[in-house]
Amino acid sequence: MLELYTSEPNTFFFKPLIALAEKRATFTPRYFDAAGLEQFAVGIPGDLESSLQLEREGPVLVHDGTVICSSFFMLEYISEALPGPSLIPPDAYDAYRARAWGQYLGASLGSSVPVLGAAKYLRPHLDKLDSAWVNQRIAAIEPVERRSGWLALRNGSYTAAYLQAVNDRLAAPVARVEKALREGPWLAGPAFSVADIDAYPMLCVLPDLAAAMVNRDATPRIADYLERVAARESVREALRTARTDHPERQFVPGVESSRWG
Amino acid sequence: MSVTLYHWEPNANSGKPMLTLAEKGVAYESQYLDLLQFDQHKPAYLAINPDGTIPAMVHGSRVLTESTPMMEYIDDAFPGPPLKPGDPRARWRMRWWMRFFDAYFAPSLSMIGWQIFIGPAVRQRPPEELRAAIDRIPLESRRIAWRKAMFNEFSQEELAESKRRVQFATLALERHLGRFQWIAGDTFSLGDINGFNLGYALPLSQPDNCNDAKTPHIMEWLRRIYERPAARETWSKGRTAMAARIKILER
Repeated sequence: MLELYTSEPNTFFFKPLIALAEKRATFTPRYFDAAGLEQFAVGIPGDLESSLQLEREGPVLVHDGTVICSSFFMLEYISEALPGPSLIPPDAYDAYRARAWGQYLGASLGSSVPVLGAAKYLRPHLDKLDSAWVNQRIAAIEPVERRSGWLALRNGSYTAAYLQAVNDRLAAPVARVEKALREGPWLAGPAFSVADIDAYPMLCVLPDLAAAMVNRDATPRIADYLERVAARESVREALRTARTDHPERQFVPGVESSRWG
Repeated sequence: MSVTLYHWEPNANSGKPMLTLAEKGVAYESQYLDLLQFDQHKPAYLAINPDGTIPAMVHGSRVLTESTPMMEYIDDAFPGPPLKPGDPRARWRMRWWMRFFDAYFAPSLSMIGWQIFIGPAVRQRPPEELRAAIDRIPLESRRIAWRKAMFNEFSQEELAESKRRVQFATLALERHLGRFQWIAGDTFSLGDINGFNLGYALPLSQPDNCNDAKTPHIMEWLRRIYERPAARETWSKGRTAMAARIKILER
């Protein structure tokens, strides 16, 4: 049995939905409202790894009792464990590049895109809920690294200067992706792969969240790339799981940024 | 196609491809870069890896600079004993723990290591020489790290947080190795190579957190890896007292 505990198809939650659709896999969706903090209430199956919350927030895949978490490795798992076309490039060097993208963009986009999205959409959303209830629920989050991602939304950490610095941190990964797309239509080799499934859900919200940096004039190759990926049937199918009119506006705090500065 | 590996000591990121190549039985040309002489920021090396991070591997015309994906490449591209389990669940576990090591455990442990070892090793040099060395570092994040290490600028708060995380991560690893013999499960894999490079000196550097009484599974796991011929061979290439710390694992 294959179950996916997930929320609106955006950022981390978008990724496995695309991969499962590419595989034409049958699975049981278990939906929670991540912006409404339901992931801290419902009984999501857990294990040592998922309890450590490496990405802080994200989907959980349960396959015949095994709990799979952490979005990039979930994509590799879906590619390797389920029948259907492989999503990992067959050439060893292309596979290296896919994994290097997963690591680099997971740390760079994964720690900045969710902050900008949360500042714009999640923070005002939480402000509309009962304050005591939200604070109580956040106070119970474990481990502390996951809790601190939510606390930052409430304790004044999201200053204009902080958000500007997070926005500026996007420049390097955005430039790297724009440059890589000069070589071909996909990030790692001649075919669509886990690298694209991992990158697209973080990149596709940037024309909204970082409009001055990611747009048709400044980043024409990324603009084309976003259209190319959006046209895939798997992406459309993933978006059909949305329960709100604007899945692209649901955000959760993302990966912790590097403690080295 | 020939293989050239640019590396420092068998330790942390440099040791990951070194031990992987040794386990696979792949011969390679070794280019030793002295981290403390900032060889990794000199033009000759920046021509290979513009980011100026170690290690880098050149295989024919292919250049690889990310150490954990590099380990998977070595396993994929060369014959020799497989270092990834066949079962997708075990593979996922291997990759999850490698990320836990790389993204959570190692940055905290290395902050302590840079404070204790790297900083004092270079700090007696003239400040203008150190500042010039920092200016040559390509990545902003590495410039910050070097500046803090050289001028002793890690705050008490961030060092205390690193110590807390090292303790927490050590206990998580002990729990994991209580469930499985190896990182991925039943078989030795890249996960063990990664973890060993991170943890081989823990009984020496963190004696209160990692010892036979508190973390018996970690101790046994480290000694089992140390006994492998590839680990002996790899650590014999060390040139400094850092690599010699491995002797703590003698039974």
